[in-house]
Amino acid sequence: MSNETTIGPADPSGATAERLHIAGLHSPSDAVLSVRDLYVSFNSENGSVHAVRGVDFDLMPGKTLGIVGESGSGKSVTSLAIMGLLPSTAEISGSVRLKGQELLGLSDKAMCAYRGNDIAMVFQDPLSSLTPVYTVGAQITEALTIHNPGMSKPAKEARAVELLAMVGIPSPKNRLKAFPHEFSGGMRQRVMIAIAIANNPRVLIADEPTTALDVTIQAQVLEVLHTAQEETGAAVVMITHDLGVVAGIADDIMVMYAGKPVETGSVDDIYYNPRMPYTMGLLGAVPRVDVAEKSSLVPIDGIPPNLLHTPTGCSFAPRCPLVTDACLAGEPPLLPADGGAAHKAACIRSEELGGDVNVLEIFSAPPVPVSRFDAVPRGERSTVLELKDVRKHFPLTKGALLKRRIGTVKAVDGLSFDIREGECFSIVGESGSGKTTTLLEIMEFHKDQDGEVVIGGISNKQAVDAKAKGAMRREMQMVFQDPTGALDPRFTVYEVLSEPLQNAGMDKQAIRKRIMELMKLVGLQPDHVNRFPNQFSGGQRQRVGIARALAVNPKLVVLDEPVSALDVSVQAGVINLLDKLRAELGLSYLMVAHDLSVVRHISNRVAVMYLGKIVEIGEVDRVFGNPRHPYTRALLSAIPVPDPQFERTRERIILKGDLPSPLDAPKGCNFATRCPVFAALPAAKQEKCLTLEPPLEAVLPSPAVQALEAGPTAALDQQFACFFPDGELDEDMLVVHETADPHGP
Amino acid sequence: MTNLNTVDAAAVAQDAHLESADAVIAKSTIIFRRFMRNKTAVAGLAIFLALTLFSFVGGFFTPWNKETIDPFNIGMPPSGDHFLGTSQAGIDLYAMTVEGTRISILIGLIVGLVSVLIAAVYGCTMAYFGGKVDKVMLFVLEALIMMPALLVVAVATSGGGDTLKKNLPSWLLLIIVLLVFSWMGTARLIRSLSMSLMQRDFVKAAQYMGVPPRRIVWRHLVPNIGSLLVLDVTRGVTGAILAEVAFSFIGIGIKLPDVSLGVLIGGATSQVQTFPWMFWVPLTVMFLLTGSLAMMNDGLRDAFDPSSSSVGRAKKKSGQRTGK
Repeated sequence: MSNETTIGPADPSGATAERLHIAGLHSPSDAVLSVRDLYVSFNSENGSVHAVRGVDFDLMPGKTLGIVGESGSGKSVTSLAIMGLLPSTAEISGSVRLKGQELLGLSDKAMCAYRGNDIAMVFQDPLSSLTPVYTVGAQITEALTIHNPGMSKPAKEARAVELLAMVGIPSPKNRLKAFPHEFSGGMRQRVMIAIAIANNPRVLIADEPTTALDVTIQAQVLEVLHTAQEETGAAVVMITHDLGVVAGIADDIMVMYAGKPVETGSVDDIYYNPRMPYTMGLLGAVPRVDVAEKSSLVPIDGIPPNLLHTPTGCSFAPRCPLVTDACLAGEPPLLPADGGAAHKAACIRSEELGGDVNVLEIFSAPPVPVSRFDAVPRGERSTVLELKDVRKHFPLTKGALLKRRIGTVKAVDGLSFDIREGECFSIVGESGSGKTTTLLEIMEFHKDQDGEVVIGGISNKQAVDAKAKGAMRREMQMVFQDPTGALDPRFTVYEVLSEPLQNAGMDKQAIRKRIMELMKLVGLQPDHVNRFPNQFSGGQRQRVGIARALAVNPKLVVLDEPVSALDVSVQAGVINLLDKLRAELGLSYLMVAHDLSVVRHISNRVAVMYLGKIVEIGEVDRVFGNPRHPYTRALLSAIPVPDPQFERTRERIILKGDLPSPLDAPKGCNFATRCPVFAALPAAKQEKCLTLEPPLEAVLPSPAVQALEAGPTAALDQQFACFFPDGELDEDMLVVHETADPHGP
Repeated sequence: MTNLNTVDAAAVAQDAHLESADAVIAKSTIIFRRFMRNKTAVAGLAIFLALTLFSFVGGFFTPWNKETIDPFNIGMPPSGDHFLGTSQAGIDLYAMTVEGTRISILIGLIVGLVSVLIAAVYGCTMAYFGGKVDKVMLFVLEALIMMPALLVVAVATSGGGDTLKKNLPSWLLLIIVLLVFSWMGTARLIRSLSMSLMQRDFVKAAQYMGVPPRRIVWRHLVPNIGSLLVLDVTRGVTGAILAEVAFSFIGIGIKLPDVSLGVLIGGATSQVQTFPWMFWVPLTVMFLLTGSLAMMNDGLRDAFDPSSSSVGRAKKKSGQRTGK
């Protein structure tokens, strides 16, 4: 390690001078929005929190700027500061200019002239950003009325219809009179976008617009945002934590850390030639859905700094593997990285970094753990969980006094699978596909269930007494999605971990010993046992949750979205831990997840569920590498990949509409209503899909392989339920942005 | 080996970071700070504590007690001998007020605390078991709400409760009757709150670990509605004091020779013109008592409510602002 201290001391003054120079010019070119030196701080019980510390950027018309960062990095606060939506207790300084007009310091009333007119915002949660008591039409016309007082009523209505059609809502004229609750989440987000672009804004700020949505819906909404931008020519600020989402649509990226931009540049610069260790770590921390080769993820140790105190050195230094003494001497300014003025990084060692540096090496990622079961063929391992034809139907009733049964919701409909020792089995699908109900059915473990659940040799049909149930509970434990909600806030870690042990009847001494073991196992400090959950970061809390699940030495751990509530950099650490535990302890996992990249990374086998049924099941590399069912294909193509080149050129299947309500599920194939293959089939074949239910069939090896092997060949570990897996896809549902410049004229 | 070591190193760094940055503040500290920030509430707490102290040690400052009759000073206004004057019967008003305040505070505290405890256990049990248990328990609760409390108090303390009255002092009897009728509203509130807690993952986690229901209610549900319980205790105390005053005022609560603020106020209403001090002194004490509790309650709500704007008033630490 060489200490290149020469750059350090001379730097800050130069940077300040340059910044002042730019600030003096103020929007030198035709930037539609230019932000300079934005500082925001809030009061908290612990003192002032410096949430944003010096954000500068220029947004050119028609361009998209992606702001990427973890929670607490100040990206949302930046957007709210631009919109003037921060509470009056926040202290804001700097300058925000919209077309040369200063916005900071304007009164709320003065801001109203700009908000929703020149600058509009799409919020994260579509479920709560529409007023439930007004029709969608009324809410769109409201946005029009405020900024165009002279507009006539029919004109407004016509414009509202036009807007709804633009964002892809079918039969917009009738839907104007619908209330928000009649729309699904994705539809509501479309309405939000329609409202945002109603007055042809110059700047559109989208704050995590797709985070609350399913992947297939996310693909739809991103597509709508893209059209909206093309129609209005607005500049877009896209705020997200997901590097995949911005890879395909952004022109420039700003990576934020601890309230400060740490690297800015064009998409290609950031993704292919990152010059700041944090950016490199972020890129290495996300698993990729299109890569089969298994390597560990890059864990970024530690947690983001506390913004109560302004850091004296580089804010990333405590977590940076490349830290030197020079890093601690003053915060590095954003300086041009590799000659090009557009690409800037705030790292004194950026010269040494680049696209060709191995990230795994820098962050000393652990080697891929190998389980002792990996060598044993699957058929020879013992079964830890088996489901046979499990069903869960909910009756749907109507009427207040006399309840009439008007239908059945088939949440889980005839599910069968098994999990062998030492393997990770994942269930994927959109929300509403019955993943969670399946887990609940397994955890419930009751005699009256429809179908058989066998856990570690104990069947729910025989297990009636508490003793058998207790034995079952020791075989299987659960890790929850939200680590904060899963730990009692009033319990110390010691109490949390001792609960299952006490329950298993261990004595005090043994409990103490076991807890110390567990803390070490999941990588927590043993002397942290007396802390309360709120004194830990999200990743550490999830580690506590995992330790609790492992306390009684179960064979099977049920993971319900174990990393979806965690930040990207922390997520990698938890995934690595799960991988390691599976190998070292010979655990089996049953995981439910919506993030297919995580699933591909960690699982051995995967089942794709749609409306309560498994549509495709098998070895993960087979299912993801060679998907047979159109739904699996659509799901996979909807996952954004953090690779801009690939994103721009890939062919994408955009499914029409949402998951149908289980009530109007078709008689034949469930997926027929949204199926891209079905839409392209001739009517005669469509008939078959509509009337017959496709059974799960094994994929046979290709004729070439069959010819090579003498005698009968065994079926591969992949089954799917579709009559026409090789059918043509409907052209309407395919979207390709093949041009290098996605936002051409 | 895997990356256990690196994780540990990071944890150490984090540890140091957490400690140096005093990022972690115990919840009790936060609540205390927020409470102290509300000046009215602090004043209320001070008044309440002063009154409690007065009711216990106030008796030592006067040679008189509530039973001794001073035949030379009958119905006298405040004077050197009797700080607050005497009653029609020649009993020292100061001694009676001390005694009455003590009884009122005692009734308030016991009823407030115990009824909330009953409500917590009852409400949590209803919420935890749900189904039939919930229905039956809810029916009992509704039935109690519909029962005319006033009548029961009247019967228990005067006519029908003769045998009871022989064994118990009237203030204890009143406490029991008040207890029976004071917990239902809170229980219903706690039931709905616990029902939402039941949806939280940590309760599910405990169930999936096979923890018995009784322990889940005690260890997970009751502590987590703690802040609501504290609020309800202060409200319950106020309610009980007011109920006692009201019942005693119309003559069905505390009976002589026991004194309470209600008895004093009730007895003096007919003589406001002739012996005004007999009416105004206990009334002022009662206002101070309930008023201080109401002031405290406001501050407590502010302190417990995570969405309160109390943070906005947090003092800014000097020298921490950016140099802008």
